[in-house]
Amino acid sequence: MATLAPVDVTTDSTPPTIAPAGRKRVSVGRVIAWVVMVVIMVVTLAPFYWIIRTALSSNGDLLTHPSDPFPVGFSLDSFKRVFGWQTGAAAVAAGGAGQPINFWLYLRNSVIVSCLVTAGQVFFSAMAAYAFARLKWRARGPVFAVFLAGLMVPAIFTFLPNFVLIKELHMIDTLIGIALPSMLISPFAIFFLRQFFATIPNEIEEAALIDGASKVGIFFRLVIPMSAAPITTLAVLTYITSWNDYFWPLMVSYTDKSRVLTVALAVFKSQTPNTGPDWAGLMAATLVAALPMLVLFLVFARRIVNSIGFSGIK
Amino acid sequence: MKRIGMIKPKFPKFAKPGTTRIKAVLATGVTALLATVLSACSGGAGGTASNVISYWLWDSSQEPGYQQCADLFHKANPGLSVKITQYGWNDYWTKLTAGFIAGTAPDVFTNHLTKYPQFVDLNVLQPLDELPATKGISNDEFQPGLGELWTGQDGHRYGSPKDWDTVGLFYNENLLQKAGVDPSELNNLAWNPQNGGTFEKLIAHLTIDTHGVRGDQKGFDKNHIAVYGFGGLGAGDNMAQTTWSAFAYSNGWTYMNKNPWGNSYNYASPKLQETLKWYFGLAQKGYAPTYNSFSSSFGGFNQLAANKAAIVQDGAWMIATYQTIKGVKWGIAPMPVGPTGHRAGPLGSLADSITKTAKNKDAAAKWVQFMSTAQCQNVIAKAGVVFPARPASTQLSLQTRKAAGIDASSFVDMVQNNETFFLPISSYGADITAIMTPGLQAIYTGQKPVSYLETLNEQVNRLFKLN
Amino acid sequence: MASNVVSPASKTSSRGGDSRKHSDDTRLALLFITPAAVGFLVFLIWPLIRGIYLSFTSYNLLTAATWNGLNNYKQMVLDPVFWNALKVTLEYVVINIGVQTIIALVIAVMMQRLTKSLVVRGIILTPYLVSNVVAALVGLWILDTNLGIFNELLKLIGLNPVGFFTDGPWVIPTIALVNVWRYVGYTSLLIFAGLQTIPPDLYEAARTDGASEPQMFVRITLPLLRPILALVLIISIIGSFQVFDTVSVTTQGGPVDSSRVLQYYIYDMAFGRFRFGYASALSVALLIVLMIVTFIQYRLTRAGQTDLA
Repeated sequence: MATLAPVDVTTDSTPPTIAPAGRKRVSVGRVIAWVVMVVIMVVTLAPFYWIIRTALSSNGDLLTHPSDPFPVGFSLDSFKRVFGWQTGAAAVAAGGAGQPINFWLYLRNSVIVSCLVTAGQVFFSAMAAYAFARLKWRARGPVFAVFLAGLMVPAIFTFLPNFVLIKELHMIDTLIGIALPSMLISPFAIFFLRQFFATIPNEIEEAALIDGASKVGIFFRLVIPMSAAPITTLAVLTYITSWNDYFWPLMVSYTDKSRVLTVALAVFKSQTPNTGPDWAGLMAATLVAALPMLVLFLVFARRIVNSIGFSGIK
Repeated sequence: MKRIGMIKPKFPKFAKPGTTRIKAVLATGVTALLATVLSACSGGAGGTASNVISYWLWDSSQEPGYQQCADLFHKANPGLSVKITQYGWNDYWTKLTAGFIAGTAPDVFTNHLTKYPQFVDLNVLQPLDELPATKGISNDEFQPGLGELWTGQDGHRYGSPKDWDTVGLFYNENLLQKAGVDPSELNNLAWNPQNGGTFEKLIAHLTIDTHGVRGDQKGFDKNHIAVYGFGGLGAGDNMAQTTWSAFAYSNGWTYMNKNPWGNSYNYASPKLQETLKWYFGLAQKGYAPTYNSFSSSFGGFNQLAANKAAIVQDGAWMIATYQTIKGVKWGIAPMPVGPTGHRAGPLGSLADSITKTAKNKDAAAKWVQFMSTAQCQNVIAKAGVVFPARPASTQLSLQTRKAAGIDASSFVDMVQNNETFFLPISSYGADITAIMTPGLQAIYTGQKPVSYLETLNEQVNRLFKLN
Repeated sequence: MASNVVSPASKTSSRGGDSRKHSDDTRLALLFITPAAVGFLVFLIWPLIRGIYLSFTSYNLLTAATWNGLNNYKQMVLDPVFWNALKVTLEYVVINIGVQTIIALVIAVMMQRLTKSLVVRGIILTPYLVSNVVAALVGLWILDTNLGIFNELLKLIGLNPVGFFTDGPWVIPTIALVNVWRYVGYTSLLIFAGLQTIPPDLYEAARTDGASEPQMFVRITLPLLRPILALVLIISIIGSFQVFDTVSVTTQGGPVDSSRVLQYYIYDMAFGRFRFGYASALSVALLIVLMIVTFIQYRLTRAGQTDLA
């Protein structure tokens, strides 16, 4: 955890001229780096071409032309099914499912659940991470180790007891019932933030203490702002993870009022052990469900870079 | 609204340590959030009232039909209504299990032959013969055998049959035409484990390698196949519903000593060994795909639709799915006749079961009984997805399909000619699947000889001795 | 483990001594960890204790559990499917984590040193927006031996098609790479967050000293990234051991047992075969493996530590 040393280095060796990282002379190394980057991005995006191509095709033609590189039987019907604009009978005839889809309700539910989970989890985990990283108390090490072990608890242990508990709290089929188990804690979030909080130089904290700040004040005015980038990163990733969560929301939800997008759009997956899924609908649903997350990410992408930085503080 | 009242007392616990300002702010914030969400969702846990019967099914294409039945039921019983919920196959069973544990299971659900013996053992199903509305359901109302399939070892009825199915050959008419084969030839095929009979001759002829050479011509390259004569080959599992069971039965094999509810399986039988040797041998000859030719998710249906297979074996429940294929003409023929001189096909059936936790069992039984009546079964027949359990409704379903240009009579003929056999119904079904599935894959891929069945059979039968 | 996680902050304070008067924050600390601790005890620890208890019972989920001592564990030691599952899972983890960490590190460093483009950052994360199940289904379509476009391309360049999801030796690497595709952006963002803690001035200083990019990577980036990299590794290895969805969608454990990973075996045992007691014992085994791996990692990341400056 060699995080204190750099501070000493920076204090005496930083030249005042800071060139932006982007403006550098062209070298062989940079060309190779760009080639690698482009290859990585192509591999990343290639399957999306297949998702889009499948979404724009019609199911009947997809089956007869499974490896045709272009959309077959071009149609936007799959998107109509996702938004619930196609009648049940038409959807069944096109190889889809017949239930009504209340898209905007599911979207609202997803937004609420993901907001609850993200706000709760990030804030409570930040508090705990602060206690583990910067407060001095006797049982800190062992307690942290126990929390860390929480990461390893197999899902099969937690699923049924948590389900029964949520039922006993009368939270079955509510959004809060879906959010609650992950709202209070994520060992990962605690671990992650603790690593960052720990890197904040002690001198800064001590200076604040001398200025009369309380430890609580340091958490809110110093630690949180200085860790804006990792907190944003964590929040965005938590939001996306919660948005994509499937199994738990499926278990807790029984009717439309608590159905989140992932669960609702699962009607496009295989319905019986023998028949295939509504391929075009499934891919359209994937794109539609991912789009809000992509927008969210791009809005925050700028902020996942540390704007304050260590040199800025001094 | 009731729910908010129950949760509210919990908030002060969070709020109490609010001696510091942050805590107070935090607590109010969380409380406000929770309150908003709860008030947004205070509609009550849908369908908990005892005059609303909750009903689950997994096949979304059947939901419209059953919704119609539910509406008719409500009209006939104005005090009662049915709330139908659909979950995809895997989710369905997990959610049902969780429901049994937490007491959130539906009142009535669609049950499956592979699952119900386990539920009987776990004591979660309500015997239908103990409820007034379903007491009168009789086996005679349904296609022969269906009622028996859903009768437990203890003689109680655990499900009211709703539909039935068996298997047949689906063929790709375009590929048959190119090979100069008349589809009617498929009605007169026979097979045997020695040389495969006329069935093997036909699929050899329908197979084409990547150079255009047919399987019965000189220079045929069995390692590079463009079109398989017989697609959808699979290792199968303990039931082998759409794979080898139909062949094994027409060779004189039976699953176990007594079906339903036997306690000794016959997987070691020489009859099965020779059947599998021939069946998996088709892949080695190039007439059928090897294990690694297609992902397990892309069975006969996908292969036929993509013009990669001329004939595949599939179940009657798949007809509606085949109807979605565009640009490939297809038809249905019966399974080939085996050494016994008969055709054979497994008889499957779904049924409606009532859970022991049903809130209003009498109302649930009324709904189950209603689904078994001709009134509802005819609605299902017209929906054209499955064959309803009643013979008259089956005929109606046949006519509906005929009107849509599909001749599905070979399935019905098999039932009428008594050429179907029961899928295996016994305890430890899931354990047997866990033994047989990888074991059969090992034989199919050639890692183990056919005689490995003897080891597998020993493992299977040990389950009945140990437990 | 506990002694290894003492933060640098505490190390300095014990050296410094001027912060003595603040040395005990126990009350405040307890207050700060209360919400997390409540969630932790209710939603993780209680289920864990219950699960460990059930591993010593015979329990079918629906009737009361009956104590059967070490029977489940005895059965497990003799169960060849379990040992095979453990081996298969380890193979998966090694391939998955090895490839994923290297690529993620490359991407993160390039996002820091090569381009600040938001588009690049967005693209890198897109696979994570797709669910596990859909990623697996798309993989099935693209990679199928006879119906997939990828094998068509292989044929075009004169290669034989490969049974990515059906050929014994190929299935685990394929499943591992499908998940690398989905998670590499996520991992690289975590690493990227760690890179933010490295003062940019350091690179400038090194540059004036004439250091090249690779030299800076080895001498600045890697050592200073070590705490975050260790975290990312631990997190992803723990996640990787629990692979389930992809297997369930693509191979269902086959062919034979080549992709029957531990979590898939456990899940089938619990919810397919209703042998929850035995499934719990298998889960405890998984938990112990995870603890050993994490412990070793902690040791290694600390032992291999070198302070740069």
